[in-house]
Amino acid sequence: MSLRTARALTGLYFGLMLVCVTWPGMIPFSRVRPFILGLPFSMAWLGAWISGSVVVLVLLDRVEKRARVEAAARGRPGGGA
Amino acid sequence: MEQWIVVSIIIAAYLLLTLSIGLMAGRRSTHSVAGYVAADRSFGLVVMYFVTGASVFSAFAFLGGPGWVYSRGAAAFYILAYGVLGMAPFYWIGPRAAKLGRRHGYVTQAQLITGRFPSRGLSALIALLSLIAFVPYVTLQMRGAGIVIESVTEGHVPIWLGSLVAYGIVIAYVLFAGAMAVGWTNTFQGVFMVVIAWTLGLYLPHRLYGGLGEMFTQIEAARPELLSPPGLSATGEPWSWGAYSTFIVVSSVGLMMWPHLFMKAFTAKDDDTLRRTVILFPTFQLFLIPIFLIGFAGVLFAGTPPAPDFILPFMILETNLPAIVVGLFCAGALSASMSTGDALLHASASVFVEDGVAQFVELDDAKQRRLMQLVVLLTGAAAYVFAQDPDSSLVLLLASAYGIISQLAPPVLAALYWRRATTAGVVAGLLAGTATAFFFWQSPSLRPFDMHEGVLALFVHVPVLIAVSLATRPQDDEHVASFFA
Repeated sequence: MSLRTARALTGLYFGLMLVCVTWPGMIPFSRVRPFILGLPFSMAWLGAWISGSVVVLVLLDRVEKRARVEAAARGRPGGGA
Repeated sequence: MEQWIVVSIIIAAYLLLTLSIGLMAGRRSTHSVAGYVAADRSFGLVVMYFVTGASVFSAFAFLGGPGWVYSRGAAAFYILAYGVLGMAPFYWIGPRAAKLGRRHGYVTQAQLITGRFPSRGLSALIALLSLIAFVPYVTLQMRGAGIVIESVTEGHVPIWLGSLVAYGIVIAYVLFAGAMAVGWTNTFQGVFMVVIAWTLGLYLPHRLYGGLGEMFTQIEAARPELLSPPGLSATGEPWSWGAYSTFIVVSSVGLMMWPHLFMKAFTAKDDDTLRRTVILFPTFQLFLIPIFLIGFAGVLFAGTPPAPDFILPFMILETNLPAIVVGLFCAGALSASMSTGDALLHASASVFVEDGVAQFVELDDAKQRRLMQLVVLLTGAAAYVFAQDPDSSLVLLLASAYGIISQLAPPVLAALYWRRATTAGVVAGLLAGTATAFFFWQSPSLRPFDMHEGVLALFVHVPVLIAVSLATRPQDDEHVASFFA
């Protein structure tokens, strides 16, 4: 995956997260049932977004790191950012 | 032996241990200002991770969180939502700021901003705003420490004495050892907090209700309004979506703008360390879940604490846990309070002296360091006086401070990413934003959709920054180039 795509997808994930945890995106998920792992649905919903963000950030980091290595190999400092 | 005596002994042992770790760490740091403020830029991943986690999770999360869950239910979920959103952009912002810090020798956020927008007035304004936001934040930590100690010693050690002793220790190691001590004590305290939170969060629902699902089934039957966002307001009415959502936005924007967190960019050993801290940060955020479970466990629990912020220590005492567990919990809560308090005191002194006083008076390295130590004492004393006020809620104290601190985000982003921004634009935006925040903070009934004053202020701040920048002469190409070079 290219650096540009990885950054766009990361931005998309966090943009979507913002919408889904505030008004109005949160409304359909602001409910008690079904329980998930014993937690009310709304709480598990937030927990899932947080857990997902670890995965997204780890994947982003892999792409960013590869881009930095490649940039260094070409003799340019930094990999963007 | 009586329970409170056993508990006091455990607390005393814990405090002594913290003090010795703090003082020993300080001996490894050099005596320069860079050593005191930025720990000679030497923190590795493990220390950075716990420094960040422990300084974000404070008495606010450990006591205020369960307090909110107990009294306002799902309203507290906003705390769960904002951390990750606020931290993620730092993956890019952090290394970028760090690079500029290394090149130009910056150790504070205001130096970064005024490096791009040279103005002594701007520097002093940022120092002043940071200090205004810091005092309620430190106040909250001290009050938290006092609350814990007073409850578990059954009133034998009142709030004024408990907060005095705990913060006497914090001030001692911050004064003598600086950033190095803050780093190592936070590592120790961070580990401690996480273990205590998960243990109690899983144990209490099990012991009191026979399991998690069982607990929520009972709460759903008795108080269903507590279980879905936006929860309840302070008066027990349903809370508005406008307030819930903007609390998330303002806290996300403000989170990394806290000088004590932003300055981590200047203490990290290298950029990879910073990036990895950001990636691991959500794992610290998940630690709020057991904290919230403790608050929910209190909902149907017989008896009422003197104030919602007391719910956690109150339950710990009422469930007849062994004295050793009570003592350890207490030490965990103190960790939460002290590990944020020390970072705050340390940062407030660095900011006030570096960005305020040193802009106007010539100071050599030794004098600066001595002046910083004096400011640590003064800030501590001011917060201590406010901490004795019995009417303050831990969460609300912090939420108000976020209104001010979130106003630092536009200047930081403009300095790092927008080449056309000008000094006049940044100053105008900052003044307009702060004035708006202050106005709506004073007149809550005028806020459209019940929105947080910090978000309303950003609606004014950002357009003013852009408009005034575009209306004034662009910065010299040479200046901008040497800043970014």
